[in-house]
Amino acid sequence: MIAVIVFWTLAVITVLSAMITAFSRNIVYSAFALLGSFAGVAGIYLLLGADFLFIIQIFIYIGGILVVTIFAVMLTQGVADMNISNRIVGLIPAALIALLAGAVMLEAILRTPWPHPGTAALNPTTHAIGNAFLGPFLLPFEIASVVLLAALIGAIVISRQAARAEA
Amino acid sequence: MYFDYAVVLTLTLIGIVLLAGLMGLQKLLAPSNPFARKLMPYECGEPPTGNAWINFNVRFYLIALVFVIFEVEVAFIYPVAAVYLDWVRRGQRWFALSEILIFLLILFVGLIYVWVKRDLEWVKKVPD
Amino acid sequence: MNTLNLANLGFAWLPLLPLIAVAVGAAIILLVGVRLEDEDSAGLGILALGVLLVSFVCTLFTIGVNAEAFGGALLTDDYTAFFEIVIQAAAAISVALSLDYAADNGLAGAEYYSLVLFAVLGMMLMAAAGDLIIVFLGLETMSIAVYALAGFVRREARSSEAALKYFLLGAFSTGFLLYGIALIYGATGTVHLDGIRAAIVARAASQPYLELGVGLMVIGFGFKVAAAPFHAWTPDAYEGAPTPITAFMATGVKLAAFASFVRVFMIYLGPAAAQWSGVLWVLAALTMTVGNVVALVQDNIKRMLAYSAIAHAGYALVGMTAAGSAAAVLYYLVAYAFATLGAFAVVIVLERRATAGLRIADYRGLAQTRPGLAAAMTLFMLSLTGVPPLAGFVGKLYVFAAAVDSGHVPLVVIAVINSAISAYYYIGVIVAMYMQEGTPEIEPSGASPGVLIGVAIAALAVVLIGIAPTPYMNAARDAFAAAAGPPAQATAFAR
Repeated sequence: MIAVIVFWTLAVITVLSAMITAFSRNIVYSAFALLGSFAGVAGIYLLLGADFLFIIQIFIYIGGILVVTIFAVMLTQGVADMNISNRIVGLIPAALIALLAGAVMLEAILRTPWPHPGTAALNPTTHAIGNAFLGPFLLPFEIASVVLLAALIGAIVISRQAARAEA
Repeated sequence: MYFDYAVVLTLTLIGIVLLAGLMGLQKLLAPSNPFARKLMPYECGEPPTGNAWINFNVRFYLIALVFVIFEVEVAFIYPVAAVYLDWVRRGQRWFALSEILIFLLILFVGLIYVWVKRDLEWVKKVPD
Repeated sequence: MNTLNLANLGFAWLPLLPLIAVAVGAAIILLVGVRLEDEDSAGLGILALGVLLVSFVCTLFTIGVNAEAFGGALLTDDYTAFFEIVIQAAAAISVALSLDYAADNGLAGAEYYSLVLFAVLGMMLMAAAGDLIIVFLGLETMSIAVYALAGFVRREARSSEAALKYFLLGAFSTGFLLYGIALIYGATGTVHLDGIRAAIVARAASQPYLELGVGLMVIGFGFKVAAAPFHAWTPDAYEGAPTPITAFMATGVKLAAFASFVRVFMIYLGPAAAQWSGVLWVLAALTMTVGNVVALVQDNIKRMLAYSAIAHAGYALVGMTAAGSAAAVLYYLVAYAFATLGAFAVVIVLERRATAGLRIADYRGLAQTRPGLAAAMTLFMLSLTGVPPLAGFVGKLYVFAAAVDSGHVPLVVIAVINSAISAYYYIGVIVAMYMQEGTPEIEPSGASPGVLIGVAIAALAVVLIGIAPTPYMNAARDAFAAAAGPPAQATAFAR
C-alpha cells in the first residue's frame, strides 16, 4: 500500500519536472527542473528493487550529468539575457508523433504477458552486478573503460580550444 | 527489503516537514513589511549592478567533463569492490585485482594525458 | 561459482589480439604524441599505420578459426576476420590520407590518430560482437571517437556544425538502438544473439516487445548506415568534417554498422525475418531514391559523395532484404568502400585550406593538369556508377541477382532505375574533368605521397576486385557461411 502511494508520488514528481523541463520559457529553469525527474526516476528504481541503479542515478545523473548540464547552460552566451525560451517548433507534428509513439508503446505494454519475477529479484543487486563484471561480463566491463577514455579525449579536444581561446 | 529504505523515506519526509514547517512558521509569526529597497539582493551594502546570471568560465566545463568521466569510472568499480573480498576468499585474488587494474590502467592513460596537456590547470598558459 | 576462472569464462587471447593491438597502439600514440607539436604529427600517423599492420597480422591468425570467446560475447569466425581486414584497410587508407592533411591544418596529431584507432577498435568490436552489449559498446566507442574527429577543426564553423549535428542525431539514434536492445532483452531474457535466435525459434519471445525492439534497432542501425529517412545528418556531417575523416566515416563507420546490422538481422533475427524484411524493403527503396535524386543537384563534391554514400547504403539494403544475398552485400560493401576512399583521396588533392577547390566546377580541366588523378577519379566514378568491368558493377550484379532470386523484382527495378539516375552526376564529374576548360587559378597543389599511395591502392582495388571477383566473392561467401553456420564450438578456446 505504501509502495503504491510512494510510486504515484514519485511518478507525479518525475512527470511534472519533465514537463517543466520541456515547457519552461527559461532554459535555466529547465536545467534545474531535471533534478526532479532524475530524483523521481531514482526513487522508482528503488521501488523496483534496483538498488544499484538507484545509487548510480543519484551519483552519476544528479551528481554529474546535471552539474555539467547546468554548467553548459550557464556557459551559453545569451543566458544573461534572461529571455531565451525553449522555442517550440512545430507543436502539432510533435504532438502527433508523441501520440503515435505513445500509442505504440501502450499497445506493446498491454499486449505483453508480464512474468512476475517473484520476491527473489528484490534482493540487493550490487553483489550480483560485481560478480557479473568479474565473470560473464568481463569483456564489456573493460571495454567500458575504453569508451570512457575515448570520450575523455574527444571531449577534451573539442572543448580545449574554446578554453584556450578564452584564456 | 523495502524496510531497509524506510530510513531514507523517513529522512526525506523529516526534511520536507522541517523545511515546510519552519518556512510556514516564519510566514505566520514574522511581520511582513516589504518595500522595494528591502527586496534588493544584499551585496555588502553596495547597490547591485548587472545580472546575477553571468556566463560561467568555459574552464569550469573542462574540469566538469573530466570529473564526470572519472565519476562514471568509480560507479563501475564500486560493485566490483563490493565483491572483491569474496573473490579473494575464493582464491581468485589475482584475477580480480588484475581486472580492476586493467580497467584503471586504461583510464590512467587518460589522466596522464590531461595532466601532461595541462588541462587540469586552472590558469591556462597558452603555448604560443 | 567456485570454479569460476579464466578458462570457463571462455577467456581467449586469439580473438582479443587484434583488438588489444589497436587499443594499446592508441594509448601509445596518445602518450608519445602528448609532447609533440601539432605540425610534427606525420610521425604519429606512420605509427598508427604500424599499429593497423600489427592488428592486421593478428587478424590473419584468426582466419579459419570458428569459435566464440567470453561466453559468446566475441565471435571469432571468417565473418569477423573479413570485416576486420576491410575496416583495417579503410582505416589505413584514411590515415595515409591524413598524414599531410593533419599536419598542414595544424590538427593535434596525438588526439587525432588515437581517436582514429579507438574508432577502429569500436568498429572491430561491432564486427565481432556476439551479444548486443558488445554491439552497443562497439558502436559507442566508434561513434564517440568519430563525433570528436568530425569537429576536429574547431576554427572552421562548418566542422563544429558537422560535429554538433552528427553528435546530436547520433546520440539520439544510439538511444533508439539501446531502447531496442533493452526491449529485445525484455522479450527474450538474454542479450546473447544465439539465445535470442533460440527464443525466437522456440516462440518463447514476447511478441509485441520483440517487434518493437526490432523496429527500434532498425532505426538505430538506419541512422548509422545513413539510410533514408534517417539520413538528414549525413550531408552536413560529411561536408564539414575534415576530408580524411569524411572518407573514414563514409567507409569505416558504414562497414562496421553494416557488419553488425547484417550479422544481427540476417543471421540471428533471421527466424523473425517476416517482421523486418518489409521495413527494409521500404527503407532500401527510399534510401536509393532520396540519395540519388538529391545528389543530382549538388555542386559541392563532398556533399555529392555524401548523397552517393546514402544511395549506396540503399543498394546494400536491397541485398539485405533477400535471405540468400548476404555474401553479395559483403562484396558490395568492399567495392563501395574502395571506390569511395579513392574518390575522397582525389578530393583531398584538390582541396586547399578546407574551403577552396571543393566545387565540382573546380574539377574542370583536371585531365590536362593532372591526367593521372583524372584517370583515377574516372575509375572511381565509373565503379560507383556500376560500369563493367569495375568492382561496383560486379557488386551490383551480385546484389540485384540475389534479390531477383528471392522475388524482389520491383525493388530491383527501382534499384536499376536509380543506377541510371546516378550515372548522371557521377559522369558529370568525368565530363568536367575531360571536356570542360579549367580555370587556371584552381591549379591543384602538389599532392603528398600518402594521398597518392591511397589513390593508387584504391584504383588498383577497384579494378582488381572487378576483373577477378571470384576470390573476393568466395571470401565473402565463406565469411557469411561461417557466421551463419552451426554454433561455434565454445570449447575451442577454453584452455
